[in-house]
Amino acid sequence: MTSNELFKINTSNKKGRINPKKLLYSGAKYIVLVLIAILVLLPLLWGIAASFTPLEKTYEYAYPFSWKAFIPVDFTLDAYEAIFERGFGNSLLNTFLLGIITVVIGGLICTSAGFAFSRFDFPGKKLLFFIVLLTFTIPGDLTVIPRFIMIKDWGWINTWQALVVPLLANSFIIFMSSQFFKEFPQELVDAARVDGASWLRVYFSVVLPVSKPLLISLGLILFLSQWDSYFWPLLVAPDQQFRVVQLAITESVQEYQTFWNELLAGSMLAAIIPILLLIPFQKYFINAVVGGVKE
Amino acid sequence: MKTQKFSPTPYLFLAPAIILLFIFNLFPAVATFQQSLFAESARRGADPIFVRFENFMRIFQDPVFWKSAKVTLLFSLITNPMQTVLALGLALIATQKVKGIGIFRSIYLLPVAVSINVAVVVWGLMVDTNAGLINGMLNQIGLPEQAFLTSPDQALYTIIMIISWKGIPYWALFFIAAVQGIPVSAIEAALIDGANKWQLLTRIIIPILRPIILFVLVADTIINFTLFVPIQLLTQGGPQLSSNLVMYETYRRGFIYGDLGSSSVMLTIMFIVILIVIGIQNLLLRERN
Repeated sequence: MTSNELFKINTSNKKGRINPKKLLYSGAKYIVLVLIAILVLLPLLWGIAASFTPLEKTYEYAYPFSWKAFIPVDFTLDAYEAIFERGFGNSLLNTFLLGIITVVIGGLICTSAGFAFSRFDFPGKKLLFFIVLLTFTIPGDLTVIPRFIMIKDWGWINTWQALVVPLLANSFIIFMSSQFFKEFPQELVDAARVDGASWLRVYFSVVLPVSKPLLISLGLILFLSQWDSYFWPLLVAPDQQFRVVQLAITESVQEYQTFWNELLAGSMLAAIIPILLLIPFQKYFINAVVGGVKE
Repeated sequence: MKTQKFSPTPYLFLAPAIILLFIFNLFPAVATFQQSLFAESARRGADPIFVRFENFMRIFQDPVFWKSAKVTLLFSLITNPMQTVLALGLALIATQKVKGIGIFRSIYLLPVAVSINVAVVVWGLMVDTNAGLINGMLNQIGLPEQAFLTSPDQALYTIIMIISWKGIPYWALFFIAAVQGIPVSAIEAALIDGANKWQLLTRIIIPILRPIILFVLVADTIINFTLFVPIQLLTQGGPQLSSNLVMYETYRRGFIYGDLGSSSVMLTIMFIVILIVIGIQNLLLRERN
């Protein structure tokens, strides 16, 4: 079914015999594959190694360059201890909880809207759906000034709600869930309705429980939207107490000195959580992102 | 299940989402347009004054704006086609049928999970002019060291390289799924007709992927158009405004100098440019059908 086969088709004409030209060709392939992998891994390997290295040595091994830059030979947890003393642990925990809250509330709001679009006919449906698509095409950063002024007027600067509420309604996820629910068998909905279930009950106990792929992918997207955000928290919640993880990383850049090892320790911790989430759920994420595009 | 009489049910399901979209997305968009036509009154507390297109005129006469527009144009013309082509290349490499390709593919997709902020922080240290790892490596193999972010001739290109570390794998994600979806029959037919690999790519794979290539190009253009974090963390627009993208200039005016009027004008201009890009995309897509 996949076009991966194309290269197999090409190379499998002459079975059994070792062809030096073919061998050279597949050797070249591996060289390209490895070179790209090195380019991708370079900053991550250095970042991990340097975060476990004392500050002076991080400069020393980078310039002049030494292989010790990639292996923490002078292993220490200094950098991690320093950032946790400054409250990095708090930032990690806060951002994680913010992410979970955004996923749960945002997920409910977006899927219920998607449910309404996919299962009902009602006056104004086309207009409202158009509005969802319209907001999808407006990049959020372009409308940041009025949104910021609004938050300021409400007295929401340095509050949790300023970080969560604007991210809850996500037009991409509304669109994605309405597409997903369209495939849901109508008979199941009808059967529940005949049994006297309310629409709210149909949505919660019939539709949502069998929408695992949708829920996983929207969970990933909403969580990452919160975990990765930097610009918005910088504007609305810069105080130490509310500092989200992406902002907390840059605290190691100070006026007279940048603490490379601490900057890298924070960065690696901020990177590890999305990596751990995306590796097992890769397929769902890809299907969600790519599936949304095909429509 | 079409309901005959009016029922409030769908509206109740929709209400939270639609209300939030109105407040946080639609209203701010309209307000940005509106703000661009007003000026702050000199008197404190007085209502803003309607100045029609005066703000626009002021911006159009501003050399800093034109400089940042030029930088943004150059940046877009290099970054987006380059990322699209390399992402397609990476996708084709990552779908090769060789042993262990799954591991390579997982490695290639790692940057997708790393936030742009983290990518920029780590690369920013690596390209440090005086003590960075990259200059250390160049020095080691006897190549001349580079100024990177501290040179007005190199800063923008260095930023393009850094964001592409994440950008190329991100867009490759879309191409990998698309390449895997190409029907084998199309490829077999071409091979039977004696096509070589280059012909396979240009006559079969690229035409089949055309809609998705177009999508990636446009989506990449729009996303990079509002690029902000790398500039803020690495160069603050410098040196000598050489990396001062329009989005960063709007931030500087709006939030550092407090000039929300001219910031809104620039955002409105950017919005119009994006609408034009989307319009062109739709035209190109229609042409095909």
